[in-house]
Amino acid sequence: MTQNEGDLPLAGIRVFELGIAIASPFCGRLMAHFGADVIKVESRTSPDVVRILGSAWLRDREDLAPITSDTSPYVSEMNASKRSIGLELKTKRGKEVALQLLAECDVFLANFGARALTDLGLTYDDVLAVNPNVVYVQLPGFGSDQDMPYYPFVAWGPNQAPLVGMDDFTGHADDPPAGIATVAPPDYMSALHAAIATLSGLEQRDTTGQGVHIDVSQFETTLALLGPFVMDYDLTGAVHTRMGNRSMWGAPQGVYPCNGHERWIAISATTEADWAALRTMLGSAVDSDFDTASVRLANQDRLDEQLAVWTSGFEVENLAARLQSNGIAAHVVSTNEDLLHDTHVTSRDWYQVAASKRLGRDVFSGCAVKLSETPGSWTHAGPSMGEHTREVLSEVVGLSDAEIDVLISENGAFEQLEPDVVVSRPWDDWIHLLLPGTQDARDL
Amino acid sequence: MPAPYSGLRVVDTTGLAGAYASRLIAGLGAEVIRLEPPEGSPLRRLAPFSSDIEPPENSLWWSYLAMGTQSVVLEPGDKKSLGKMLAEVDVIFEDNLPEDSLIPDEVVNASTIRTRILPFGLTGPKRGWQSSNLIAWAASGILYTTGFTNRAPVAPAAPVQLAYHASAASALVGTLLALRSRRLTGIAQDVEISMQEVVLAIAPETGVPMSLDDRVHRERSGNRRDLGRPFGLYPCKDGFVSIIVLMPRHWTAMAQWVAETTGNETIIEEVFEDLAVRVETQELIDGWVEELTTQGTRIELFEEGQRRGIPITPVNTVDALVDDPHLKAADYWTSTHLQDGTEVTVPGAPFRSSSPWWSMTPAPRLGEHTELHLA
Repeated sequence: MTQNEGDLPLAGIRVFELGIAIASPFCGRLMAHFGADVIKVESRTSPDVVRILGSAWLRDREDLAPITSDTSPYVSEMNASKRSIGLELKTKRGKEVALQLLAECDVFLANFGARALTDLGLTYDDVLAVNPNVVYVQLPGFGSDQDMPYYPFVAWGPNQAPLVGMDDFTGHADDPPAGIATVAPPDYMSALHAAIATLSGLEQRDTTGQGVHIDVSQFETTLALLGPFVMDYDLTGAVHTRMGNRSMWGAPQGVYPCNGHERWIAISATTEADWAALRTMLGSAVDSDFDTASVRLANQDRLDEQLAVWTSGFEVENLAARLQSNGIAAHVVSTNEDLLHDTHVTSRDWYQVAASKRLGRDVFSGCAVKLSETPGSWTHAGPSMGEHTREVLSEVVGLSDAEIDVLISENGAFEQLEPDVVVSRPWDDWIHLLLPGTQDARDL
Repeated sequence: MPAPYSGLRVVDTTGLAGAYASRLIAGLGAEVIRLEPPEGSPLRRLAPFSSDIEPPENSLWWSYLAMGTQSVVLEPGDKKSLGKMLAEVDVIFEDNLPEDSLIPDEVVNASTIRTRILPFGLTGPKRGWQSSNLIAWAASGILYTTGFTNRAPVAPAAPVQLAYHASAASALVGTLLALRSRRLTGIAQDVEISMQEVVLAIAPETGVPMSLDDRVHRERSGNRRDLGRPFGLYPCKDGFVSIIVLMPRHWTAMAQWVAETTGNETIIEEVFEDLAVRVETQELIDGWVEELTTQGTRIELFEEGQRRGIPITPVNTVDALVDDPHLKAADYWTSTHLQDGTEVTVPGAPFRSSSPWWSMTPAPRLGEHTELHLA
């Protein structure tokens, strides 16, 4: 595949991103991968949480404390291919320069709270004054309408999923709700909707010349996924809730133990064809009355108990492969260690390696959106904080070196700290052995 | 201002895998045609159902996700009608591998974008493997980490089918990028989505870059986590609330609230201002916090806690959401009509735009638009 950078779908599009954590950064990263110049605007006084997290293996290295902000794996996971500019928006000069930069951008993207954007003087109207056809996309927790009841409320990542009904839907039927501890569906669903909204906004701007203001209230956006349950409640008063891993549409579906400690298999065999195939494998391991679909659905406790006895005799990888070769949806319930050895994932080059100013190189997840002719590119891993300040201020805003020096001395902007310190991650020398498809460092 | 994708024609042959993408692009102006076999789309067979309506018009999944679209029935093997339907189509959504597709390459125009949403993608050793919402979560590392330690792992919000919706939304992002690229270069390209990768992308916490960095085995932790205290779900009069206290100011407000409400003077002692101490004494802290939370309802605790600046939210159920005062004030909920004319509440536009983009019609009857397009 030969791909010309200029042919990427978002080549020539410049994004001003005020992002923290996930929702807006995940959207910005998608755009950067497909050619947009995404400028991540960062502050030292109120840094993005990924700058605070740091890295596990650096925790005891006090000598490297000044560079901690560049080392969390989330920096690359959320910000690969972006440029980072250090700009203090609460200072008069920093704000002025931000508006100059905004005049040169196509898209404004932010998941700061609606009130924070108002306090910074960066509402839609403020940006419109310097950029009359801007595509302005904001992702506040509860929308940007000051008259709405929850406008001033705070909800952190782990608070959002329960709010929109996700936690109540999580867990076994007779247990309390389980928390969705390690994934934040509202953040990511909002990010994907923001990408759809941004592309729609660019479409409108390119065809009519008119920009647009888009408000992605994370509360409302995630609720759009609950349609059938809302309808059933309205029609019948039924309040749907958690049901473990079971399906409303057929049985069996579940997670069953395999041979070994904490080895589990997930099986979805909800159709008649699935059951016929499963029965040939099961033989008489489960009762014969389960050949009737309604019996399976009505007696899932008994069915699951008998299946669990059957699955316990297998090695999980072996059973998954056997079920799939019989056309039944099944997979190892992968641990994070299993993923390292998932040859399907690595055969598709899911994990990417790109140059990093701070780490030499960094590994991060690829992009789940694959285009056949313009597959996108990773120009670099996550940027160091302020890595591109001078470059962006000179190239895009048109400031001279002397003007930039003054701006920095007045604390309106900052540059990357300790630019000469490069520290490799502990795995750096052997990453190509762990992840086939990544390059040996010596080839870079 | 016309909707951004008005004038665009999309054909959808998928079931659940592409349905949310079809719904969104229909809401944004495109003409979306669902090609259905004579017995109807598999989406029409998904419970819950309306008990007053006969199949295949009774599925609420269909009634929600097929909103804004049209239905054309194609007899199997009717190449002529298929060719007619695809003559001027801009986008095709499919959920099967090329060799299993009902659409042969020769009836697809060079200017058509083909978007495939597949279990494990077009390449790799698992290319032919089957999937589901559950399987996609299993293959991402997240399923293993969700649930209580003494119980089997559970998928996040399993009934909601998030893995399908995230895949559909990702497919739409790819499709809109491909449309933009076609407008700029004249070249149409294909979009490929692997459901496994979509979920891996939203699950970096259990991903390889993270575990290479800290070498920590991810384990289930129920509904609280040891990152702070209180941190997670706490019982109340009518269910649970979620409380996340990490920042010092949040703890100060939380301790004050507990003290004022329960008369507990110990909780405001300085020693508990240290997050590490609170994690160490978590049973004590959790007990004190529960003395407060069990006295209130979800909405009372939410409003009072937020008034005090504490990140607290209700663990909402569907009924509470429909009655939520913010969503009511914001006029979020809207309605649609089922095939028997019943009006029913549905979520409104997923985002709001200053240009009036979003519009929706009720889900179509099986074959409602066959004559329109094939007569």
